[in-house]
Amino acid sequence: MKNIEIKTTQQRTNPLANVFDRFMQFCQSRSLFMLHYCTGCGAIELPPAMTSRFDMERLGIQPMVTPRQADILLITGYVSVKTLKRVILTYEQMQSPKYVIGICSCTVNGGMYWQSYATAKKLNDYLPVDLYIAGCMPRPEAVIEGLQLLQNKIANNDGHSWKDYFQNYDYYLGNQQHLFGEDWQTPTDIITEAKHYGLEAEGTYGKHTELLAKHQHPLQPLPLKTNN
Amino acid sequence: MSWSELLAELFFMPAIAFVVGLFMVLMMRKIAAKIQRRVGPPFFQPLYDIVKLYQKDTQVSHGLWHDIGIVMAVGGYIGAEILLPVPGFDGIADKGGIITLSYFLMIPSLGMALGVGQCANPNGSIGISRALTAMLAYDIPFIIVVFGVAWHFQSTSLVEMVEYQQVHQWGIFEMPLLAFAGLFALQGMMGKHPFEIYVAPAEIATGPMVEMSGKYMGGLFVMQSFQFYTAGVLYTSLFLGGGENWITFLIKCFAVIAIPISIAYVFPRFRTEDVVRLLWKWPVMMGLIGLAFVM
Repeated sequence: MKNIEIKTTQQRTNPLANVFDRFMQFCQSRSLFMLHYCTGCGAIELPPAMTSRFDMERLGIQPMVTPRQADILLITGYVSVKTLKRVILTYEQMQSPKYVIGICSCTVNGGMYWQSYATAKKLNDYLPVDLYIAGCMPRPEAVIEGLQLLQNKIANNDGHSWKDYFQNYDYYLGNQQHLFGEDWQTPTDIITEAKHYGLEAEGTYGKHTELLAKHQHPLQPLPLKTNN
Repeated sequence: MSWSELLAELFFMPAIAFVVGLFMVLMMRKIAAKIQRRVGPPFFQPLYDIVKLYQKDTQVSHGLWHDIGIVMAVGGYIGAEILLPVPGFDGIADKGGIITLSYFLMIPSLGMALGVGQCANPNGSIGISRALTAMLAYDIPFIIVVFGVAWHFQSTSLVEMVEYQQVHQWGIFEMPLLAFAGLFALQGMMGKHPFEIYVAPAEIATGPMVEMSGKYMGGLFVMQSFQFYTAGVLYTSLFLGGGENWITFLIKCFAVIAIPISIAYVFPRFRTEDVVRLLWKWPVMMGLIGLAFVM
């Protein structure tokens, strides 16, 4: 992450409003819907974490199947260049506040794929990662402990890494362009979203977003045709 | 009834329905957990989920009909709540009757269809077409049951049905076949396994809910709690003598909802055409025989 300092929500002066905010943060921390993007071997540790052995639902964490509904994007394993494109598309479709968790050594530094030409080494060059759970592979206990750490972060009003993607979009876009080529464009218009929700900062714009603006074309609906 | 009393009932009946419905959702998740030998969610989990979903910072709307669809989905059930007599409150139940209620129960599915249609997601379109087919499947036995019950009590007013049952005996003893067919229709109406093909999370990514985020998903969670309450109260009013007081009434409602849920979590799901075939064969057959007995 380029710039760790993220503008957090200021404490409000009205004590009742603070109680309300605390309650909201508590609810957010106790209800997390998780989209698991299972790219590698780490996926095998998730079924025991969810089912009767370790049962994530008792912590309020449950799997969801679409990015629209999910709060957590859980990436379990190595991220190849092709996969990373899909991960970014998925991440951009999620609704804020959203959190990214990288599981296994591969997301931290490439792991055993360090020498691979087709593997993205550090996930946090391309997405704001909230939490890494290292290990090859981490056991379900470690996964659940990591998720509890995230819950504590959210409850303490500390889970704002998702704002970094809007506020330092130029940095992330630059890394993405470096990997995918200069004509890289996602269906979600992050700059417009940042403007709309008032999340712009200095880092939102830069030479990479200028490059994007040059070739960016709006999304068109697919032509309707039948295959006869 | 004075205007102020009516207004109070119009407010309190959906409010009670929502709170009771949240407990029913909690019961569903706890039963699912027990069947799967898990601990299950904490006591306030349904509340946490809804608060969290409405608290999302960004929301994706796919257009006006997407917004209106969710309002129709929740509003249809809120309309249905004030037509259901509960202990102490009759609302406008004596004015509406069960035929109006049957129409109200279709509004949520149609609202969902409108909303999902605008999302333009193929998974959503597949899901909602399956959901409407399933609605066609369970509505036939449901209407036969409603017709039979209304014929038996010689009334379409739920208030009169409940009064009759409290004086004489419960409908389930007088029309057991219709009650059994009604239970079948209830399983389909609640959209639980084995009639849950239109949600199918692993195959079509929760079907109609695929593009719902934040407050839209929150609206659907609210709708689900209303749906459980409506199904429980309707069945209780038709066959289990309605409510003399809140304690026995709620025990009956929760028991009614517990039956389909307990069945749901030990079964896989039927395909859409099998849902239609099954629901148009067995409950319809039982319903028609039951109808012949009451006529």
